[in-house]
Amino acid sequence: MSKTIENAFLTAEGCYVALTSEHLSYQDIIDRVRSPEAGAIVVFAGTTRDTFQSKPVKELQYTSYPPLALRTMLTIATTICAKHALKGIAMIHRLGTVPIGEESIIIAVSSPHRQAAWRAGEEALEECKEKVEVWKREEFEGEEGVWRANRDGAAGVRVDENKKGEEGE
Amino acid sequence: MSTPKPPKGYFNILYFASAGSFTSKNVEALPAPLPLSKLFATLEERYKGIKESVLDNSLVTINLTYVDLPEGEEDDASGEGPVIIQEGDEVAIIPPVSSG
Repeated sequence: MSKTIENAFLTAEGCYVALTSEHLSYQDIIDRVRSPEAGAIVVFAGTTRDTFQSKPVKELQYTSYPPLALRTMLTIATTICAKHALKGIAMIHRLGTVPIGEESIIIAVSSPHRQAAWRAGEEALEECKEKVEVWKREEFEGEEGVWRANRDGAAGVRVDENKKGEEGE
Repeated sequence: MSTPKPPKGYFNILYFASAGSFTSKNVEALPAPLPLSKLFATLEERYKGIKESVLDNSLVTINLTYVDLPEGEEDDASGEGPVIIQEGDEVAIIPPVSSG
């Protein structure tokens, strides 16, 4: 999956979900949920942190199964949109190399009043982290990278050279 | 990002994240048909240790739909008959996700 993914997205009424290998734009995401009926827009941005359990992280690599990830994101978006009576919800995740300190995900939601927007924003992020078919690999200085797993916060699976499976006949 | 069609008599299997690291590939074609209940054993035969390291913590999709893996060799617990992976199918190994 090293080939760069351009921009892939899905939409439903009031919902926009996307994957991109480009920088994320707050303005673009906010404008997608803007509505004259909304009194609140809540935006969440996930940014890449420079350490994992105090080990310095050089950069992060995100990979995905785009058709499935988009489908899962749209299911989350439509469910949360209906549940909280939102005017709009937009979620975009960046793929490929994301340097430290940059945005890897932005979620924006709009609703008539702020309480629903706060709640929906948090719920959308938690659902994404639990379900969306995107994987993060942390690259460390001077040692092999590690695939993270959101489920347990553990270090994920490290595959050393000597443990690597040999292909059979 | 589209995966090449598998040759006649084969299905594609996609390896994501730790599955890709373990197999050193993102995709390969395997002979079809193959009962889903035999999938992990087939992969373990090709990549020794993959079951414990990767597969036991992973989910499986066929054509973008998650499927339940039959426990052990007994299939047909659902009463719907065993799931058979067919020629041309796209199977994927989905390790624990880590978006955000």
